Amino acid sequence: MTGVVRSTNAGAEPRPRVVPRLVSLLSDQLVILLLVLAAMVAVFSTKQYFFSNATFGNILLDWGPLVLLAIGETFVIISGGIDLSVGTNAAFTGVMAALVMRSLTRSHHDQWFTLIIGLLVAMAVGTGVGLVNAFLILRARIVPFVATLATYGALGGLAIVYTHGAPIAGGPADAIKLSVPKYGPLSKPGLIVIAICITAGLFLHAARFGRYTFALGSNAFAARAAGINVRRHTVKVYALSGFLAGLAGMYFYLRLGSGAPTSGKGMELDAIAAVVIGGTSLSGGVGRLSCTIVAALMVATLKSGLIFMNVAPDWTPVVVAILIALAAYLQGFTPQIRRPT
Amino acid sequence: MSDLGPPLYEVKGVSKHYGAVVALDQVSVALHAGEVVGLVGDNGAGKSTLVKVLSGVHEPSSGMVLLDGVERHWKSPHDAIAAGIETLYQDSSLATHLSVSANVFLGRERVRGGLLGRLGFLAQREMDEVAHADMERVGIAVPSTKRAVSQLSGGQRQAVAIGRAVSWARKVIILDEPTNHLGARQANEVLAVIQAAKAKGLGVIFISHTLPHVLQVTDRIVVLRLGRVVRDAPTTEFDADSLLGTITGLIDAS
Repeated sequence: MTGVVRSTNAGAEPRPRVVPRLVSLLSDQLVILLLVLAAMVAVFSTKQYFFSNATFGNILLDWGPLVLLAIGETFVIISGGIDLSVGTNAAFTGVMAALVMRSLTRSHHDQWFTLIIGLLVAMAVGTGVGLVNAFLILRARIVPFVATLATYGALGGLAIVYTHGAPIAGGPADAIKLSVPKYGPLSKPGLIVIAICITAGLFLHAARFGRYTFALGSNAFAARAAGINVRRHTVKVYALSGFLAGLAGMYFYLRLGSGAPTSGKGMELDAIAAVVIGGTSLSGGVGRLSCTIVAALMVATLKSGLIFMNVAPDWTPVVVAILIALAAYLQGFTPQIRRPT
Repeated sequence: MSDLGPPLYEVKGVSKHYGAVVALDQVSVALHAGEVVGLVGDNGAGKSTLVKVLSGVHEPSSGMVLLDGVERHWKSPHDAIAAGIETLYQDSSLATHLSVSANVFLGRERVRGGLLGRLGFLAQREMDEVAHADMERVGIAVPSTKRAVSQLSGGQRQAVAIGRAVSWARKVIILDEPTNHLGARQANEVLAVIQAAKAKGLGVIFISHTLPHVLQVTDRIVVLRLGRVVRDAPTTEFDADSLLGTITGLIDAS
């Protein structure tokens, strides 16, 4: 692995503008993640039927909501915070959207109208949860871990309370068809997720929004001293995370054709895992969205792949845990590797 | 002192309480354009608190802050920065994970033209180049403005922080321990930058524990002790011993 790092760096140094840009774009960490992903696919492909559109379609369906949550989590963690509420936020928003869509369907509204209202409800509820998190952190001065742990618990409970534990169906009948792979292994929602990945990456790495996010996590005092409205930006970051969790909730709905109160269960940890495997520092100020996106794909691939390897799904978290430990271990080395450059 | 004209930046009768703790007690300090005022005092004398009042981080509990003779109420550092007051804080002015140019332009990023600019997309190359030119103009050598600040040495970091403050300041520049952790040569470079800022007509407030630096570069020295101003006099009236004595209280200044 170090061989790869060294050769890309060495090649980058003497050459002019364009090439080093390309190389830094495909940063060493991203290259490593892609290689590990490729290795995973190669190993799983030794099993029959793995290498197929159907399997990749399934992986991408799993990846969609996970990467949405992981994108929000990347922004929050880079800014120096953490958001534990994203999983239950997605479940709760999915349920809320489902309740609204069910009542609209009962009163014979148009399917697409109903879906769009459902989407708006999901976005609004998700963002609202993000604002509650920001309120708890900024106004009540609760540390992000505890504040979002509280909303995590509350939303998980509320999702059960409002549904009595059962999925809420009875929405637009054609909703579930949207999740059928259409473009190769990709579904329409999957396409939207990819568009969100690109947009979020640009805003994180090329725009002021991202610059402030990094500055906040790197040195909040310096950010404030430089005239950045730190509180307002914190609100925006948690609202973004909530908004994306809302979209994930809608994604669950489209996939299942119902709003299930347990649909996002444990996904906050998968999302944080993707962020950590992607090399984002939990102490803030460092991270790269492309790495989170690929790491989320690794987690989703692992989930399907292990089934093909006849490993019980219960083992998935164990393997993910090993990846986290490995990523954290390798991160410990990066400063030493980078220092001489 | 009347030949200096009216003060550029001034605090009058400023007090600051943290609960029952009185950090500043009826402090008055005036700074003129093209003047370097040294702010000295032992630990806990109130220097840092005064810096925070001057830079808009804290609002005073009572008293007035005047810029060009007009009373101002800074709600945040942003207000003070917008009014032309730059501050270099002890050790913590830079976001070390970010590049040099990102730090130079932190909070006032240049954006692209058109729609992309409205969305906040950054003119990164332009900022890299301008930051480089800014650093050179101030007389600071930094290997590359694209490099992360964490990859620079302590002296280079301090140089970047000072360069940023000097290139942005329009009226006042506040330097809190700028020569800390620096070697002799680097410290001299910093002192030269202060002279350059003074020549530009900026008001400079220089806070330091290193008394020879204070005696070397300032026009006037304000000595704080336990939150009060105990002496405010031209630098020519001090020597190393009398300054130290005034700071520690061995010499009764009043």
